Amino acid sequence: MQNDNLPWQLVLVFTPLSLLSLGGGQSVIADIGKQVVDIHGWITEADFVDLFAISRAAPGPGSLLSTLIGWRVDGLAGAVAASLAYFLPSSLIAFAVARVWNRYRGQAWQGVLERGLAPLATGLILSGAFAVLLSSSGTISIWLIVAMSTAIFILRPKLSPLPVLLVAGLAKVAIGNLF
Amino acid sequence: MNEAGLKPAVTLPQIFALFARIGLTSFGGGLSAWIYREVVDRRAWLSEDEFLAGLTLAQILPGPNVINISIYIGQRLRGTMGSIIATLALLLPPMVVAVGLLILFRFYGDVAWLHNLLEGIAAAAIGLTFSVGYRAARHATRTNRWAPAVLLLVFLAVGVLRWPLIPVVLCVAPVAVLVARRQARS
Repeated sequence: MQNDNLPWQLVLVFTPLSLLSLGGGQSVIADIGKQVVDIHGWITEADFVDLFAISRAAPGPGSLLSTLIGWRVDGLAGAVAASLAYFLPSSLIAFAVARVWNRYRGQAWQGVLERGLAPLATGLILSGAFAVLLSSSGTISIWLIVAMSTAIFILRPKLSPLPVLLVAGLAKVAIGNLF
Repeated sequence: MNEAGLKPAVTLPQIFALFARIGLTSFGGGLSAWIYREVVDRRAWLSEDEFLAGLTLAQILPGPNVINISIYIGQRLRGTMGSIIATLALLLPPMVVAVGLLILFRFYGDVAWLHNLLEGIAAAAIGLTFSVGYRAARHATRTNRWAPAVLLLVFLAVGVLRWPLIPVVLCVAPVAVLVARRQARS
């Protein structure tokens, strides 16, 4: 394998993945792993698991995984190349759709579409959170934290989420692996 | 509203400040819920229906949902510049933090309490998303009496049975829009 132009190779790997990530970034994580670990051998499987964990631990979108892989493979140039290749193509499509959509603001048919799609989007929001919950360690303490924070956020819609999240994190540290 | 159909009230620096803050403080995932809370609940820049329609589009299109919804909101509020500013503000600051963490984790990656801290934060973030789902469901039910049926159907198919999202959306969306149209007429 030639190593002379890694940023360009990262672009070639991440651009198709960007366009294929229908339904969100989670849908291509397995393919990203396959490409960078199995096919190109840029990083090891253990490396990939580490980078994935860090992308979840860091603030911001989980899709920053692409940036981290780029960084691990080829430093700053790799991070820039992988990020641009992963974020730009899909963003251009989203921008074009948003422009068309927002151009027809206030039309009656758009109100109907919005009211019709709202419960669909809501079902997807709940499905996403449910899937994350099922993939967690699923201990009693985790379920308790989920239940309590759900209640707090429903009762206090204007509360800033950050303090609640920090308290939840510290509570889990205090509980440890007891339950 | 001006002639381009954009809301004039929100400025580019306000968009930048909000999305940078969300990008930097949204630990635990579930960013769509953070954005909903800030943009709809706390600031009323968008209505619930506008946001949720944008989120449906964001989920169908390729690309991370949070990026797509940020592009949609920025475009809606301030056109092209609005969507560029919102996206860059959401992405660039946490990018720097993530790379910083990557360097730190080489030394502290095995610490158990750090793992527990992140797990607790992620659990509370799930609660945040559930609460947004609850509020959106309540709102949708008020304007559309078929909303609970559509919502349950989607949740069963995608959440419980783990059917792939795109075909489910493509099948349910036309029906959901048709019943909404019927109601608008009557």
